[in-house]
Amino acid sequence: MRTFLVISVVSVALAQPPVAPTSEQAGNPRGDNSGSYNIIQSFELGYRFATVGGDGGMYDSTVNYGDGIRLLSSSLTVQSRDGHGRLFDHLVISTQGLGGDPYQSAILRIEKNRLYRYDMMWRLNQYVDPAVTVSYGEHAMNTTRTMQDHDLTLFPEGRYKLFLGYSRNLETGPALTTIQLFNAQGDEFPLFENVHRQVNEYRLGGEVHLLGVRLNVMHGWEDYRENSPQSLTSPSQGNNPNDLNALTSFQSTEPIHGTSPYWRVGIFSEGKKFWAVNGRFTYVAGKQAFALDELSAGTTLRGAANQLQVVTFGNADRPTLAANLTISLFPATHVVLTNQTSFSNIRMIGDSYFTEFDNGFQSSPVLPFQYLGIQTFSNTTDLMFHPAKWFTIHGGFEYSDRHINSVQGQSNLGDPAPAQPAIEQSNQLKAGTLGFRLKPLKALTVSVDGEVGRENKPIYPISDGNYQAFRARVEYKLKLFRVGAYAKSDYNVNSDVLTSYASHARQYGADGSWVPVSWFSIDASYTKLHLNTLGGINYFSQGIDVSGESSYYISNIHSATLGARFRVLKRADIYVGYSHVQDVGDGRATPYGAGLYSALPAFQAVQTFPLRYLSPQARVSIRITPKLRWNAGYQYYGYREQFSSAQDYQAHTGFTSLGFSF
Amino acid sequence: MKFLRAVSAALFLTALSLASDYVGSDACKTCHAPVFNQFFRNPHYQSIASAKESPENTGCESCHGPGKAHIAAHGGKATIVAFSEIGPEKTLDACLRCHSQTLSRANIRKSAHTQADVVCTNCHSIHNSKAPRFLLAKQEQRDLCYSCHSTVKAQFSMPFKHRVNEGSVQCTDCHNPHGAFAATWGMAVRSHMVDQKQGNEEACLKCHADKRGPFVYEHASVRIDGCQTCHMPHGSTNPRMLTRPTIFTVCLECHNGAGTFGIMNNGVFHLSPTHNLADPRYQNCTTCHVRIHGSNADALFMR
Repeated sequence: MRTFLVISVVSVALAQPPVAPTSEQAGNPRGDNSGSYNIIQSFELGYRFATVGGDGGMYDSTVNYGDGIRLLSSSLTVQSRDGHGRLFDHLVISTQGLGGDPYQSAILRIEKNRLYRYDMMWRLNQYVDPAVTVSYGEHAMNTTRTMQDHDLTLFPEGRYKLFLGYSRNLETGPALTTIQLFNAQGDEFPLFENVHRQVNEYRLGGEVHLLGVRLNVMHGWEDYRENSPQSLTSPSQGNNPNDLNALTSFQSTEPIHGTSPYWRVGIFSEGKKFWAVNGRFTYVAGKQAFALDELSAGTTLRGAANQLQVVTFGNADRPTLAANLTISLFPATHVVLTNQTSFSNIRMIGDSYFTEFDNGFQSSPVLPFQYLGIQTFSNTTDLMFHPAKWFTIHGGFEYSDRHINSVQGQSNLGDPAPAQPAIEQSNQLKAGTLGFRLKPLKALTVSVDGEVGRENKPIYPISDGNYQAFRARVEYKLKLFRVGAYAKSDYNVNSDVLTSYASHARQYGADGSWVPVSWFSIDASYTKLHLNTLGGINYFSQGIDVSGESSYYISNIHSATLGARFRVLKRADIYVGYSHVQDVGDGRATPYGAGLYSALPAFQAVQTFPLRYLSPQARVSIRITPKLRWNAGYQYYGYREQFSSAQDYQAHTGFTSLGFSF
Repeated sequence: MKFLRAVSAALFLTALSLASDYVGSDACKTCHAPVFNQFFRNPHYQSIASAKESPENTGCESCHGPGKAHIAAHGGKATIVAFSEIGPEKTLDACLRCHSQTLSRANIRKSAHTQADVVCTNCHSIHNSKAPRFLLAKQEQRDLCYSCHSTVKAQFSMPFKHRVNEGSVQCTDCHNPHGAFAATWGMAVRSHMVDQKQGNEEACLKCHADKRGPFVYEHASVRIDGCQTCHMPHGSTNPRMLTRPTIFTVCLECHNGAGTFGIMNNGVFHLSPTHNLADPRYQNCTTCHVRIHGSNADALFMR
């Protein structure tokens, strides 16, 4: 029992989860016997509360716990003691947050040895986002996503297996969006959007194991449906109320139906001690059919009445093929040589019949079309060598070749599409990796890894160009004491004749945990995440090309967690924790700083966003009887931005609950 | 014929000798009663329950090897396969003897975990598992991953993050800790063990199905370099887990007017001449370009 207690203390002392549910379970961890089954079960029922001061929208976006009675957690494990249960040998059910939490889940596994295994996972996630810095907050969302996955495997340990699966993903809820009307100089108008998106996926597959080779085949069908109509709730002057542009009515619907049948074939074989090979082939035939009907009425910038109807329909296809072949050789003891060759081909083809009626005048219908093709070939070779138990070294070489082809254009309906010049780009990446592990003492591990890569034509400024990434970690772990320190860096530089781009990411940190006695444990971590990027920008102002400007961003995030757990008189468990995240930026006192890298105040003001996000918590769990516990906890959330208080909030949350088994 | 008989006899005697080194799991119970008494909870107990497996594939000895010498020596780690002693390489080999040929573990030999000497027993506790599924060494999967990936733990403590600490998202929703196939996005070689939806698409699309398309007008960067072009998937101090706090600075990272990047790398500028960035109107790109992940109606993602 002492061992169990110690492990229990350690197991809760690593993450900084919300204050509820509690990790202390009521009841006997070894369970109770009933017939030929052993049963372990418990649940925690309680009341959660939250009071929020400041920006409630930001609280909902980052935390979102509310008031009410919750089944905070529950678990049930039924295990056959002899492995010969009548209907099942193993049953697991666990839930979290049922009854109103923004993050709810339920897991079920039921299994009969050698006959079947069924897994189910259900999840609900409420997503609230006012996102003031994205589209002035006019793209706020308050949606709920529910997901469920069902997987049934027949004969899970046999030479022949059968897989059946079903998944469902449903997103519903209100949202805001915008549209820009009635011409390129027109205003932007806020709209209401009733989000409804639904995915159903069905899977059927099998596996056969013969003559040392295992063949796995899976065929799936994904069906996607979306209809999120948009409307104007009241006449709007738009984001610029000083002009005459206005929207008096708006209605838009765009039902979308997509299907994505796919195949996945895998083949494996391990030649005992000398080699292993596996291959995989996948093909996804993505397709979407859509129709858009949009009707708007209002006034133009010049104050003229305007009615606009847009009708669009068409199809989009994206067949994707990927194949992989991995060969592992074990030419000598302690040597592993692995080579993987991969190829993928993605083609995107679309046609969209676009018709516009402007004040009753029908514009010529046109058929825009676009083609985008991406072909990638890559090969990686890795060598691992274990010359001694205390030393491992590995190195590798990666080569990747990608070809991108794009065609864009439009034609009048009925006319042949005009020949468009294809825009092509090819680039190659060559990278080398090297790393080693040292274990000079049984409790001490030192690991160092590095990767240096060169891409000859990065497609975007932020793509990997000339990059180098290094990582080092030292860990000392002796029984129930562990301490580690690490450092990581990732530098990337891209340059061309007009502008240059450079990013520097560095991360340092240390963490540790210690259980000096069975009734006390402590863990702590500190991480410093530094990022700075500098990229050149050219743009036009009053028709004049402005060059020499730069987009500069810097963040210096300090993140720390501290947790301690006490057990008092073998009856009460007390947990106190603290999480602190602070971006100190570059230390400037005002948004504009010293005017570095740009003469434009709008650019200076977005170079850094210092903020602080902290959350202390405390929880007590008292064992009333061997099968009953009382729990209570408090957690504070504080969010504060340095340059604006508009989104700041302070939230006091907590709970009280009973945890019991029966 | 005599030669064949001699060989057959020799092979039979060898097999008999090896088989006789196996003593059965009941013999282990004598000294390891606490482990044995709880072993019925273990998925490996199936090998005992079935009573159909060969001795080397049954119960304790299927992993720890034949126990005869161990019993004769009255215990000791030198006379049995003790996983605390054999090192990561042999631990991996021992587990893969049965667990190698599964699609999700196809790349375990070359995974970053294996290269870091992180093998099966670092994450799975066969006899002291706290989790009801997968014999995980800790009750929560996230705690397992955080114990090494401290920077990731820090990212999930940010204000905007996937709800891993809250329990509604798990690391394995996006990652395959046993190693992943080459990605079909980016340059295919730095996948960071990211799992793939439907076999070959980015893991993000498993939940964010509306971003999947296909669209008539794809935002090429989404398909070519992936979602991480604009988003930080673990967590961020920025809304919507963007790489920058304001939207136009995200867009300007690529749409910077430099004509030598992008698929239109023939000198075409990636920024409209009508967009005067000094005008606040043009500092909130997605207010007009609302369908930024892809559109079926407008090449500029306006509807």
